[in-house]
Amino acid sequence: MYSPQKTLPYRVEMYRQLKRKRTLFAYLFVMSLPIIVALAVKFGTSGNSTGPTRFGAGTADLIGLATKGAANFTATMFYFATPFLLIAVVALFNGDTVASEASWSTLRYLLAAPVPRVRLLIQKLKVSLTLSAFGILLLAITSFGVGALAFGIAPLQTPLGVTMVNSVAISRLAIVAAYLAVTLLVVAAIAFYFSVTTDVPLGAVGGAIGIMILSNILDAITGLGSLRNWLPSHYSFSWFDALSSQIDWTQMVRGGSYAIILAAILTSISFIRFAKKDVTS
Amino acid sequence: MKRLTPIPALAGIVSMALVTLFGVFLITSESASASQGVVTLEERLNGAGGVTLDASLYLPKTLPAPAILLAHGFTGDKNSVASQAKSLADHGYVVLAWTARGFGKSTGEISMNSPSGEVADVSRLIDYLATRHEVIQQHVNDPLVGIAGDSYGGAVSLLTAGYDHRIDAVAANITWHNLSQDLFPQNSQDPSFGPYKKFWAGTFFALAALPNAFGGECGTFAAAWCTAFKDAVATGVPTPSDEKLLLASSPSTVAAKITAPTLLMQGEADSLFPLSDSIANAQAIHKGHPNVPLAMIWHSGGHDGGTDETKRLQKATSDWFDKYLRHKDITFPAFQVTDTNGSISLIDSSVVPKMWQSAELPITPHFESIPITTPFTALIAPIGGIPGAISSLPGVGSALALAGNIGGVSAAFLPGQSGFLETDPLKDPLSIVGPSEITVKVSSNKSDATLFFSLVVRTASGSTKQPNGIVAPVHLTNLGKTGSLFTIKLPAVVLDAAVGDKLAVAISTTDQGYAMPADGRLYTVTVASPLQFSHPLFTSSKSQSSLFVWPIAAIILIALAIWFAFIRRPRHNIEPVEPTDALVTVSNLSKVYKDGYKAVDNLSFHVKRGQVLGLLGPNGAGKTTTLRMMMGLIYPTEGEISINGKPIYPGSPTLAELGSFVEGSGFLPHLTGRENLELYWRSIGRSEDPFFDEAVTITDLGSALDKKVRSYSQGMRQRLAIAQAMLGMPDLLVLDEPTNGLDPQQIKAMREVLKKYAKTGRTVIVSSHLLSEVEQTCSHVVLMHRGRLIAFGTLKKILGMTGKKAGSLEEIFIELIGDDLTIGKES
Repeated sequence: MYSPQKTLPYRVEMYRQLKRKRTLFAYLFVMSLPIIVALAVKFGTSGNSTGPTRFGAGTADLIGLATKGAANFTATMFYFATPFLLIAVVALFNGDTVASEASWSTLRYLLAAPVPRVRLLIQKLKVSLTLSAFGILLLAITSFGVGALAFGIAPLQTPLGVTMVNSVAISRLAIVAAYLAVTLLVVAAIAFYFSVTTDVPLGAVGGAIGIMILSNILDAITGLGSLRNWLPSHYSFSWFDALSSQIDWTQMVRGGSYAIILAAILTSISFIRFAKKDVTS
Repeated sequence: MKRLTPIPALAGIVSMALVTLFGVFLITSESASASQGVVTLEERLNGAGGVTLDASLYLPKTLPAPAILLAHGFTGDKNSVASQAKSLADHGYVVLAWTARGFGKSTGEISMNSPSGEVADVSRLIDYLATRHEVIQQHVNDPLVGIAGDSYGGAVSLLTAGYDHRIDAVAANITWHNLSQDLFPQNSQDPSFGPYKKFWAGTFFALAALPNAFGGECGTFAAAWCTAFKDAVATGVPTPSDEKLLLASSPSTVAAKITAPTLLMQGEADSLFPLSDSIANAQAIHKGHPNVPLAMIWHSGGHDGGTDETKRLQKATSDWFDKYLRHKDITFPAFQVTDTNGSISLIDSSVVPKMWQSAELPITPHFESIPITTPFTALIAPIGGIPGAISSLPGVGSALALAGNIGGVSAAFLPGQSGFLETDPLKDPLSIVGPSEITVKVSSNKSDATLFFSLVVRTASGSTKQPNGIVAPVHLTNLGKTGSLFTIKLPAVVLDAAVGDKLAVAISTTDQGYAMPADGRLYTVTVASPLQFSHPLFTSSKSQSSLFVWPIAAIILIALAIWFAFIRRPRHNIEPVEPTDALVTVSNLSKVYKDGYKAVDNLSFHVKRGQVLGLLGPNGAGKTTTLRMMMGLIYPTEGEISINGKPIYPGSPTLAELGSFVEGSGFLPHLTGRENLELYWRSIGRSEDPFFDEAVTITDLGSALDKKVRSYSQGMRQRLAIAQAMLGMPDLLVLDEPTNGLDPQQIKAMREVLKKYAKTGRTVIVSSHLLSEVEQTCSHVVLMHRGRLIAFGTLKKILGMTGKKAGSLEEIFIELIGDDLTIGKES
């Protein structure tokens, strides 16, 4: 018997995505960052980078801090992954999800089955967000594991001079990961909007990444003043506040809420567009 | 079919939300417009006792206006405050800046803000302001006037406010409370003077006296002050007359008389006038007049440098005057604190401070206590005081932060000369803002002791953080044989400690900034009380409301989003159509695409069970568009389709009764044919038998079924797609150009498949542009051209339509539409 609630079950959609090489490669991509950095620091030239690095002495020597232990290494990997890597992974999972069905022409057979359109998007989004969240978790776990192997387990030392014992450090890293997951909802929503709009998966993914890069660039232009507060990437690094001895939630609450607001607006537009769309691909 | 159009409504709500957000933005970013037209008058004004003061009067555009007296710091002159003066004048104040006596082009001698000297000068300046018609006058000889200044200028501000009640508002920055306590700091209850702050005092004196060698060793200092300096250098203690001099120049003596609203700003990086001076000033003012409005700002600057917050402090100053001179409605938090270790800059990863605020002044400390678990420490004071620890350097700041460790030894804590009384590692993070206290028993091999106490954080990794290098010196006398108990006032600090850190009271026997006993000593310090620390309640300073506003906005937006996306999604007419014996009814169906192309125009036909219907027409006739509508992929512009009397629309459950193959196959290329079919069946969530084997047998897929679809030929994909359409053996099979790409044998087999399928009582709709193809398969034909129905009926009827005995559909088609075979637009 046909029942709309039984169409495209979560497990089936998850299986369909997991079977794809793309998923595997995305996760390998995520895991490669801590491994490459650890190898570079461990076997590269002296850790006291003498070359012109952005994180040189005088400010916070992040690479130097990264080698203090697993927790520090994980925090540094989050720092490196926030502006691009995680954006790329989240954009990939959420931008590709509907557009790739359209490009394979499988979308029309799902819709004709019929999988109701709103249900299709909900199920797709559930799975793509799960995959995205797992990507963040994987980065954290791999970083911590690689960091523990390469540098041992030691208390977290932040550039602010705060030291946190491991239990606290892990809870703070969990807060960082959770905050990243919330702020990346914006990326997911932008990518998803493109995904239901276009039949070209790469276009959807690239579009979302492009918008975030543009937002990052604009955010670096101080001349824009407080206008920058409204950029989708403006609060992406506010998780730094979780690394002070007492967490100041102001920026994170603001950033998280703003991300949810933008994501809610974009997602509802995506749903409405898709529900009204003539699927001709 | 009725459909709502929620997009415009959504756009309305979204734009409303954006307007609200940006409205907030516009309000917060409202900036002071820099007005022009400030007039500066250079004046020579009379001070007290025949002194002439070099002054500048800045007049704003709009007059009359309240006046502000702007005092400069030590060794400066009226020009050092010119930029702040101009900005206050821009802001609408008459500003009077002057050079204090003994400096610059003013005459007279430096007497360190004595009541009869510099303070009396300011009273003359107020007299002068009372004569200016540009200044708002409250009474005769009582202009509306505020006073502000940093350090030396801050002290004269507070002193003047105490002596001259015509002052209506005060803003004093990094200034002293009691010069005697600041130069001979004593942080215990011992009645003696503390160790002489020689480094600072020397620097201070030299700055003013030395630039001109012809001025003599005392420069422009008044003789009494020059003597006091010499006494201090010689003996390390002030004489009674020196002390009288110091007290006369201290706000401590007159603060209780201040009635003007006072803003006290103090720097965290200040080993000259530490934070405790601002607490003492506030306490004294509050004690004298509990209703005087007071506010305090602890910023990250100070005499040691620190981080420059000048801009913010000048804004606070002008806000303070706006509030109390112009009675503007400004909310001013009672206590603001900068946490220099606030966070890391996102732009260059440097450390950026964070602001915190509290509604309560730190004048009555709420002490909490934590036990010290190191009970005891022994220390040595080297003979001659060398080597000596360096806690902070005048004008430079914390030696720890600056020099770090030399050879693994911290300059602030020399081995043997320093000790730590530690707590256990903290189980919760802790912030300390304000003073701390501890009672200790001190013994010595002499009868007195000079010690330098500080509150530090020792991290799990072994490093020691001494906030800004601030120490609390004590000089303890009359020590008993077994030691005596003293309560030590530890420095007021802003400090963060994390879980795992230990708080510690650091004790050092030497500090190069101070005069120390030259004979060597042995000391023991034993803990006699828990550590008492100030644990204030703070909130982040910027927009408290945002903590609630943002999440609430987010929740509202989510609710709206759900409402639009789920509840206001397109609705469809689900009333059953009049029952007929037809399986499929297409009535008055039209489709106009977005670009205006009319693909289907008023199409009506019906299909009964067991029929094989051919949808026939040249490319662009509207066949595919019709089938897309039948599959619920696109919305008809007009008319409707029903199956078994139930309407079809995108997502309609009725669609479950039809299997379809339209416009080519659609498979996951990375899976095999079998996986694709199985996954599809699971995807569509049906519980009945898929008739998997039948579908596979009919389409003759064979062993190819277990190869990846990626490797399939066009024909294989086609057959797999038809197998997919047949899964579950639906009542209605809709196939679009099913023979495309098949070889003749397969085409023949396909015909049999379709015929067989129809014989089971099921119905097949096949579209094709190959007329001969349809001729051989179909029982009924719908002939389309340019979206319109040309003919509809049984194959026989159509064949007989032209009256002539037409041999094939081809001929009939040409007969019916003539030469108009223009290919319609492909959609």
